[in-house]
Amino acid sequence: MTIKRLLHPIGPALPILMIIAAGPPAIQAQDAADFFRSNCTSCHTIGGGRLTGPDLKNVTQRKDRAWLIQFMQSPQAMIDRGDAYALQIKQESRDVIMPVISGMSPARAETLLTLIDAESKLEKSQFAGLQISDRPFTEQDVQQGMAIFMGHRKLANGGPPCVECHTVAGAGGFGGGRLGPDLSKAYERLQGRKSMGAWLYSPATPTMNLTFKNTALKANEEILPLLALFESTAQKGVEDDRAGTSAFFATGFLAAVACLGLFAVIWKARFRAVRDPLVETSARKVLGGR
Amino acid sequence: MNNTYFNALFFIGLPYVSVFTFFLMTIVRYRTHGFTYSSLSSQFLENRQHFWALMPFHYGILTVLGMHILAFLVPRQVAWWSSVPLRLWIMEIGMLAAGLLTLVGLVAAMVRRRANHKIAVVTTASDWVILALLLIQVLTGLGVAMMHPWGSSWFALAVTPYLYSVATLNPNLAVVSVMPWMVKWHVINAFLVIGFFPFTRLVHILVAPNPYLWRRPQVVRWYRRPAAAGR
Repeated sequence: MTIKRLLHPIGPALPILMIIAAGPPAIQAQDAADFFRSNCTSCHTIGGGRLTGPDLKNVTQRKDRAWLIQFMQSPQAMIDRGDAYALQIKQESRDVIMPVISGMSPARAETLLTLIDAESKLEKSQFAGLQISDRPFTEQDVQQGMAIFMGHRKLANGGPPCVECHTVAGAGGFGGGRLGPDLSKAYERLQGRKSMGAWLYSPATPTMNLTFKNTALKANEEILPLLALFESTAQKGVEDDRAGTSAFFATGFLAAVACLGLFAVIWKARFRAVRDPLVETSARKVLGGR
Repeated sequence: MNNTYFNALFFIGLPYVSVFTFFLMTIVRYRTHGFTYSSLSSQFLENRQHFWALMPFHYGILTVLGMHILAFLVPRQVAWWSSVPLRLWIMEIGMLAAGLLTLVGLVAAMVRRRANHKIAVVTTASDWVILALLLIQVLTGLGVAMMHPWGSSWFALAVTPYLYSVATLNPNLAVVSVMPWMVKWHVINAFLVIGFFPFTRLVHILVAPNPYLWRRPQVVRWYRRPAAAGR
């Protein structure tokens, strides 16, 4: 059966079906905004100044769309090719190269540029960046940050505490988790208050993105104290020394030994063999002390 | 090997092949070789070393496996438990101890099968394959516990969504593909164990003497002299 014959019954309705499948423009715009929020806001703002990456306000006036679409799909390739503007972006971003974003097709890049154009025309874009206080950090902020990090203070939107996957110098006890990196020097790596604040509000890694997608941190109540903690640990310049991990292993090892001892005691009178004890007893009798 | 192909092969292809093999071959084996559905216990041949293999291994593996299943079935509750550091550490130390018991039991079982002549005779190639797979599984599990704590917390966030996506025939590799290699190895080896399961004595899990847990107790009398009671 040919494709033509297959399509025959719905042929007249095909253009309408295609329009329905494409979805109304409002839904596409919302989709682009969700995509931008999930994938771009940890490094970019629209009209809120540069973070790790440049401010994207009026980006289409700085470079043509074809170049931007190409760059959005494969930033590394453009840099490798020696493109002057791509190299300039890299230098301005302190050598941080934009990662390849999953699902960034040419069509997706086009809708994102349309979104950026529309947002650039607004007096204040919804992507102007995290509104976080500029006041200096206090010792109390650092303590609150540690309480949030360790899970002693619950996150308002129900997100998991940092300690489950990360550690930080001074975590105490058996230390923090190590699925993700040690965050003691993250404040330096993520280039300070503004960039790290944006990152915490909209994390870029798949694991963090999935975890905090519906449980974003509160700007001044949670992100600010965490930033205070990370600034203080970065200033000290030391990472978690893994003493907690060694203590964890030692405790687990002792617990296992205790279990084995318990087995030996509980099943002391267990029936273990028939023939071997008979042979051993007889051998002792026959051989005597020899 | 390209990372995308590697992930697709081991986190989409392998799980489905393994689970399909598991269901197909456990049914086929039960229908065609029903009497082989057993642990083929060698306890009767040797029962001293057997104790130090059987007891630590079973208590260890049942505890660890039970927690893995719990984290898959009720991830939110497990994450809630682990959201307080003290509770998290109690759980993790308990699981580490159970993992170490499993390792002790497994190594003891391997030594016994190699060193004891009578047991070596009744040991097959399939036994060695599953013992090796289990050893890799336990070692990578302990490696994850030591190198990437705290699994009881992040399992619910990072691994459960992947396992659910596989179970609902809509595999999502977004998170599992960026896991550390030790975690990936542990997951891949788990699917190998599941796939090889029907060809081993592990099938006894499916027909374990479960009614022993709730049936009326039976009194067993041993006729022996008190002096021999400790034997």
